[in-house]
Amino acid sequence: MSLGSSPASTVVATRSRPKRSGTGGLLAMAPFVVFMLVFGAYPLVEVVRMSVAENRIEAGHFVPSFTGIENYLEVLADPTAWKSIWITTAFVVVTVAGTMLIGTGLALLVERAVVLKAIAQNILIWPAVVTPVVVSVIWLLVFSPTVGGLNKLLTSIGLSGQGWLDNGLGAFMLICVVDIWHWTPIVFLFVYTALIGLDGSILEASRIDGASEGKVIRHIVLPLLRPALAAAMLVRIIQSVKAFDEIYLLTKGGPRDSTLLLNLHIRRAFFDRLEYGYATALGILVVIATLAVVAVAVYAQRRATK
Amino acid sequence: MRHTPVTTKRRPLGIELLLLLAICVAVLPILWGIWVSLLPNRAIVSPDWRFEPSLINFEALFEPGQVVTSQLLNSILITLGTTALVLVLAAPGAYGLSKLSPPKWVLAPAIAIAVLMPLIPPMTLVPGMYVQMASLRLIDTVYGLIILNTVVNLPFAVLLLRAYFDEISDEIREASLIDGASELRSFLSIVLPIVRPGIAAVAVFVAIMAWNEFLFGLTMSSGGRRSPLTVGISSLVQPYEVTWGQMAAAGVVAAIPIIVLAAIANRQLVAGLTQGAVKG
Repeated sequence: MSLGSSPASTVVATRSRPKRSGTGGLLAMAPFVVFMLVFGAYPLVEVVRMSVAENRIEAGHFVPSFTGIENYLEVLADPTAWKSIWITTAFVVVTVAGTMLIGTGLALLVERAVVLKAIAQNILIWPAVVTPVVVSVIWLLVFSPTVGGLNKLLTSIGLSGQGWLDNGLGAFMLICVVDIWHWTPIVFLFVYTALIGLDGSILEASRIDGASEGKVIRHIVLPLLRPALAAAMLVRIIQSVKAFDEIYLLTKGGPRDSTLLLNLHIRRAFFDRLEYGYATALGILVVIATLAVVAVAVYAQRRATK
Repeated sequence: MRHTPVTTKRRPLGIELLLLLAICVAVLPILWGIWVSLLPNRAIVSPDWRFEPSLINFEALFEPGQVVTSQLLNSILITLGTTALVLVLAAPGAYGLSKLSPPKWVLAPAIAIAVLMPLIPPMTLVPGMYVQMASLRLIDTVYGLIILNTVVNLPFAVLLLRAYFDEISDEIREASLIDGASELRSFLSIVLPIVRPGIAAVAVFVAIMAWNEFLFGLTMSSGGRRSPLTVGISSLVQPYEVTWGQMAAAGVVAAIPIIVLAAIANRQLVAGLTQGAVKG
């Protein structure tokens, strides 16, 4: 199996064979391009326009009047925005690292397992296909202070129940645990698919040479898996920055904004507080930051594989 | 550092035990949700582990006058509509990208869109989408949600399908053209049937994404009868009057189509998805 460096780089790389250029290609691609320009790019333009304006609603329409970078300055001077930025950063780091470690570990375990191999291949993917909203429901049912399964378990073995979502750190850890539970299967799939595609004879040879299992994994398997690990990490970073559903339902950003990811902050600013300029300016900053992080990740990965 | 003997001795028992633990962690929360959905509220709040299974929560959920039935229908329409629209737009687009060498001025924006769109967090676009949907009078409609779900799934679908089209040799298309078939006919009756597994993989993937979608449903509808099921479930989560059993039952209802889809899409299909995404 051929593993390329990243989804982003492959698009450009395979345009090699010259073919008859023609209207056929134009006609085939036009619907896709036009649809995306109208319903994908135009809203982005609209967001940019609102972010540099003060917006009033007149007769059901947004009327922007140009104010320059005022909204951006307001965002950058707002402590809540900064709090939200740090919380989001911490969330991305913890959940990406958590899913990468556990997902890779599980892939290595399943590849070596005998009895549970088939069933594990199947069941370990389940959390990823569960509807995010249902994931929140499930974990509310586990962590709820009144009816939660965890407190029920604790009280029946003689310990006292906890209000898991009451304090900031607990709530933050909870949303991280839920996200890691939900998305570890993605990393597992990437790494496991690459793992079973590896050339088994290299591993056999090194084992016969007396290398311990730990050394084989560290010095041979993991370097060979690097393209798959890099791709999985890129996907996970993007997913993690997009996270919204589960957190919105579990904590709504609380308590006291301790789980207020940027996506929740933007929604609240736009729909609850009607701060249209602030919300859109913050959105544009998030887009720029996301693209920058991805660009750095892709660049680092290219250099590493060179 | 522990050194294993020279023979390639594995430690199967430890591995199996760890895997058993992982399986439990993956499955137990799901089973707990199903368990709660089968309990009357009285049994849910009681501190002991009585189990008197009943379908009372499901009956309450689908009582006449409840909104869940409409929401379920909305979700089905959104899922079918999105899947169809994505396939209709993505299949020719991906084919053009892979085989028809369109002019550069179409190719460049197409690739830019396909690569950049999936990177942008949808929440940042929601304000602009809301303004657009409002001016098109598509707020609170199934059509609006079909369009927005298509926007977020189309780029990935094109990239994935392109990988499948790339695997077909050019001679197949050229041969059918020499035989007198038009470009359209060659695409519809020769090429498309060959990539049927790819189409199926994309369809299942998009259907799951559309069924699971929450953000657009939340922001582009006013709730109640007009919302998709995911938003309906979220409105059952109220801070003071939590109908836990109904909430769990609605979750089970939302999970059933996904389980069916995942069963249809066997592991091979899932492997095809990851392979398509990683392939060089």
